[in-house]
This record gives sequence, C-alpha cells and structure tokens, in this order.
Amino acid sequence: MKKFLVVLLALALVLPLAACGPKDDEPGNGEPKEEGYELALVTDIGTIDDKSFNQGAWEGLKKYAEEHGITHKYYQPQDKTTAAYLDAIDLAVQGGAKLVVCPGFLFEGAIYEAQDLYPDVKFIILDGVPHAGDYTPVVKDNVYSVFYAEEQAGFLAGYAAVKDGYTKLGFMGGMAVPAVIRFGYGFVQGAEYAAEEMGISSIELNYHYTGGFDSTPEAKTTAASWYNAGIEVIFACGGAMGNSVMRAAEEAGTAVIGVDVDQSGESDTVITSAMKQLAISVYDGIAAYYAGNFPGGQSVTLDAKVQGVGLPMESSKFKTFTQEDYDAIFAKLVDGSITLLKDTDADDPTQLGTEIVKVNYVE
Amino acid sequence: MKIIYFIVQQTMTFSIPLLIVALGGMFSERSGVVNIALEGIMVFGAFTSILFINQMQDTMQGQLLLILAIAVAAVSGMLISLLHAYASIHMKADQVISGTAINMLTPAVAIYVARMIQQIQQIGFVNTFRIVSVPLLGNIPVLGPLFFQNTYLTTYLGFAILIVSALVLYRTRFGLRLRACGEHPQAADSVGINVYKMRYAGVLISGLLAGIGGLVFVIPTSTNFNATVAGYGFLALAVLIFGQWKPGRILLAAFFFGLMQAIASAYSGIPFLAGLGIPNYFYRMTPFIATLVVLTFTSKKSRAPKAAGVPYDKSAR
Repeated sequence: MKKFLVVLLALALVLPLAACGPKDDEPGNGEPKEEGYELALVTDIGTIDDKSFNQGAWEGLKKYAEEHGITHKYYQPQDKTTAAYLDAIDLAVQGGAKLVVCPGFLFEGAIYEAQDLYPDVKFIILDGVPHAGDYTPVVKDNVYSVFYAEEQAGFLAGYAAVKDGYTKLGFMGGMAVPAVIRFGYGFVQGAEYAAEEMGISSIELNYHYTGGFDSTPEAKTTAASWYNAGIEVIFACGGAMGNSVMRAAEEAGTAVIGVDVDQSGESDTVITSAMKQLAISVYDGIAAYYAGNFPGGQSVTLDAKVQGVGLPMESSKFKTFTQEDYDAIFAKLVDGSITLLKDTDADDPTQLGTEIVKVNYVE
Repeated sequence: MKIIYFIVQQTMTFSIPLLIVALGGMFSERSGVVNIALEGIMVFGAFTSILFINQMQDTMQGQLLLILAIAVAAVSGMLISLLHAYASIHMKADQVISGTAINMLTPAVAIYVARMIQQIQQIGFVNTFRIVSVPLLGNIPVLGPLFFQNTYLTTYLGFAILIVSALVLYRTRFGLRLRACGEHPQAADSVGINVYKMRYAGVLISGLLAGIGGLVFVIPTSTNFNATVAGYGFLALAVLIFGQWKPGRILLAAFFFGLMQAIASAYSGIPFLAGLGIPNYFYRMTPFIATLVVLTFTSKKSRAPKAAGVPYDKSAR
C-alpha cells in the first residue's frame, strides 16, 4: 500500500512537468494564451510604484494597453538575480505575453538568455543591452534595447540651476552605476556651460554617491550638512534616497532637483526634475510592434533629438529661467552643437575639465 | 560653535530612535525573551502611525497629531509583539524564529495594506512636527541651540522614556520581578511570581517602545514611508548589547552610535572634518568595531540576562 502511494505521488509530481514541456504541439493549450496577458512588464529593484523607473515604464505600457483594449499585467521577480528575472519572464510568457518590457540594466543577463528561449516573444529592455556577462552586446531580432542620454538630462538640470541664480550646487547619486554617473557628469557640465555663458567666475559643486537607493538618516544628514554649509540646491539622483534629501531641504528651506520622472508632487522643495521620457519610449516601442515594424535587433540611445530627455517646465519652480531659455539650450542639444562627456569618458567628476565649476568630490 | 550645534541636532535624528528601540529590547530581554523582531515591530509601528498621519493631516496638524500618531504606533507595536509573545512564551517556540517571522511579515503587510488603501506603497506625509525653537528654552545661550532648536517633541519623549525605564527597572517591584524572570525564572516562580505574565509584560513593553521608535525614525528621515526602517532595528539590538542591557549604558551607546553616524554622514559639509582627510569609512566602521572590541573584552563578565532565549518550562527545575 505504502509503495503504491509513493508511486502515485511520484507520478503526480512528474505528470504536470511533462505536460509543461511540448506545449506548441497541443492545440488545446493555445486557448489559455488567448485569455492571458498580451503585454507584460517585469519589475526591477523596487516596485511598480517606485515613482521612478518601473512606474514610468508601466505608465507607458498601461496607456497603450488601455487605449487599445489590450490585456496587460506586471510581474515582480522573487529576487534580484538573473535566475529570478528569468523565472518572472518565463511566467509572463506562460501567461500569454507577446511583448515583455524589462526596465533596468539588471535584466541584461536575463534578456540575453530569454531572447533565444522565446524567439516569438518581443522584449523591450530599458537602460541596458543583452550580453553574456562580457559586455559584448548580442541583440537578437526580437529585442529592442533602449538607452537614455542621461548626461543631457543632467546637463539641462545643471544649466537651468545656474541660470536660475544658484551658484552652490550639490549632486547626490545613489550608487555609481552608469546611468547615475551620466546624470552627474551632465549636471557638472551643464553648470559649467551656464556659468561660462553668464560670466560667473566660480561655482561650487559637491559631488557624492551615498551608496544606496533607500531613504536613510545618513542620506538626510549628508544633505542637511551640505545645506548647512551653504549649498543651495541638490540634484538628488537615487530613487527613495531623494526623499531624504527633500526632507532635509524642507528643514533648511532650500531646493532639490528630482530625477527620472516629474517629482514635483513629492515635495514643494523640488524645483525641477531631470526626466527620462520612459513612458513615451515604451509607448512608442509597443505602438511600433502593433504597427508591424518592431525596431528589434537594435540598441538605441534616446536623447534630446527624439525628446527622450528633458525638464518638466510646466511644473518647474524657476525664478528667472524661462521657457525661452529652455527651448534655446534644448535646441543646442538637438542640433548637436553641445557634446558632452559620458560615464566612460572620465574616471571621476573632477576630471571633466571644468574650470569655473569647482567639483568637490566626496568619496 | 554653529557646527557643534548642527552635529548635536543631527545626532538626535540617529540616537533617539536607537535609544527608544534599544530600551524596548531591554525590557523584553530582561524578562527572558530575545526580541530580534525589533526591526519588524518598528516597521509596523511606523506603518500604522504614518498611515494615520496621512489620513488625518487634512483635519489636524502639529504636535497634537504627532501625539496621537505616537499612541497609534505604541498600540500597533504592542499588538504585533503579541504574536511574538504568544509564540515564544505560550507555545515555547524558538524566539529567534518567531522574531525573524515578524521581521519578514511586517514589511509585506505594510506594502499590501498600503496598496489596498491607496494603490501605491509609499505613504506620503507632511512634516508639521518640527519645532524650530522651543519657546523660552530655545533662547538660552549654548544650551538653547544645542537641545531646544530645530528639534522634535520625540527627542524629549526619548529622554522621558529613558528616565521612566530606569526607574521602572530598578526602583519598582515590577522591575525587580521582571529582572528575576530573565535571570532565573524557576526561582522567581518558586516565590510565587507568574513568569508567563512577567514575560508577556516585557515583550509588550518592547513592542510599545519599538513601535514608537519606528515612527520617531521615519518622521525626520523622509517625505514618505516605504515599508522599511533601513536596518535600524538591528542596529538597536547592537546598541542594546553594547549597552550591556542597562539603561544608562544604552544611552551612552545610542549616542556613541548616533554621533559616529552623524559625523560619517555630515563630514563633507564640515570644513574642519573634511580637511582632516580621514575617509568616511572610518567613521562608519567605528561604532561596529567598538562593539566588537567591547564584546571581546567584556564577554567574560557579560551581563546578558541568563535566561534570555530559553522558553520557560515549569516542569524543568
């Protein structure tokens, strides 16, 4: 009897596995796919409402899906590992996804494998390009890899801040990952450009990576000490860490520049935000897919030319920096008359060759 | 002088929550129940009270709202610690396991409930609680800027809790009984003390204080609550051990940790410290290295409550 039970149990375990295997041969299995979710998003570190990366991407996906009546769903990986990301992608595909959006460079390894595993499924990866761990890009036809010119967004923020009369600036990044570094370098160069234009002789700029993307008293105290030492505005570039900077700014009566999405709703101290148009680029990618011309197989960097980055001027609280000023500098980025150094061009922010902006790099 | 005032004010941000939560841990461990759930209880207390502030801030502001929120945090902290108490006292479960369970459970609950109520997990709140300068006291030279400017009501609450805790522990019958249950519960039981009752009391007090500690931690730190207290519950455990389970030493330990953290975070804004050229890793490491060193040298006569972590079994003599 006992043996029989064991055999039964073993069969019960094996049978569903076998059923999972050759799905495509069985027409019966096609049906649940029809009822599944066509558009899927797998979240990165953080959640769907991180007021940053995931949320921006999700908003774009949701907008398209709701406008066109397409089923959509997001999946949250169990862990921050390639294996867990792959599991979540697998879940999305099993759930009927035809297109999966993956926001964040952490997906690079997972997409590298998934693009071969699911050749019929399209992938959009933001801020990253699939590779096997050796940083040699391998982009198959079903993958569309999107980068943003963060240095241009940072540039606009730095330019606007100096143009608006701030001469003591701060940059606080979460971790020194490529996107954050590009934001920071752009910020330094933007400040320099504006100072040169205005004939300002000296700009102070404190530059620091806090080492995390969470709200902590450490981040708040660092920001408070900078404000206490005379810094007037801090570009807070690190998810929830920015909320700690905002709290410090509220206490000191100073200003903050937000990041990724329009953060003016987070605190009255946010004067503007260095935005990446995540929602628009995801929306456009999905629209292209349904129009039959999915831009697969390529890795693009969305910059000012395609409105991939920018400042939300309608919600910004500038005193003297006007829409015309913004349009003028934006046009210069579009026509390429301003070129910027990126994360790979300098080892640290003091080597950006700025003369007016004195970068005080705090390690 | 201005810099010293600033550092002291910032130190409070770190030290007061550590002090309150470590004192909470002290009551639990002194009664014989190890409470590594402090982190989870902090999260839960912060969650309920910030949600309360979020819902009520349109109708009231300032210190009244803060006091009510503290009450909410205290009650919810006690409720969640009841789980720990029930598992570890009544069911004689492993106290580390049940504490870990709470640490894992509460952030999930906070995210889930926040989503149900308002679709997003971050609970925003407006900070109307900061006291720019306490009337009269804030004008005293030196002491005014040190302790009575740019502060929160919770700072004074922290010191009040410290004094009350020390009195309760050493000057009351309850405190004596509590300590007895943590040292030798069988002996306590033999003279008619209900060990279960005392341990429940210890754990509930720790829940009350840790819940308050969570709120105190979040208010000056961020503009919203995102289901985390950044490991400060565990840091409070370190403070508790560094403070050798004694209120006075816990105070010193909390301020030592807080001061080091404040200096490590603020040194780049202070010309004098930035000029020294000591990397901030040094400041960050100091409290932890000091804890290790102190533990190494005092482990022989360490004053950990003898029965802490051992479920009380009436029949074992």
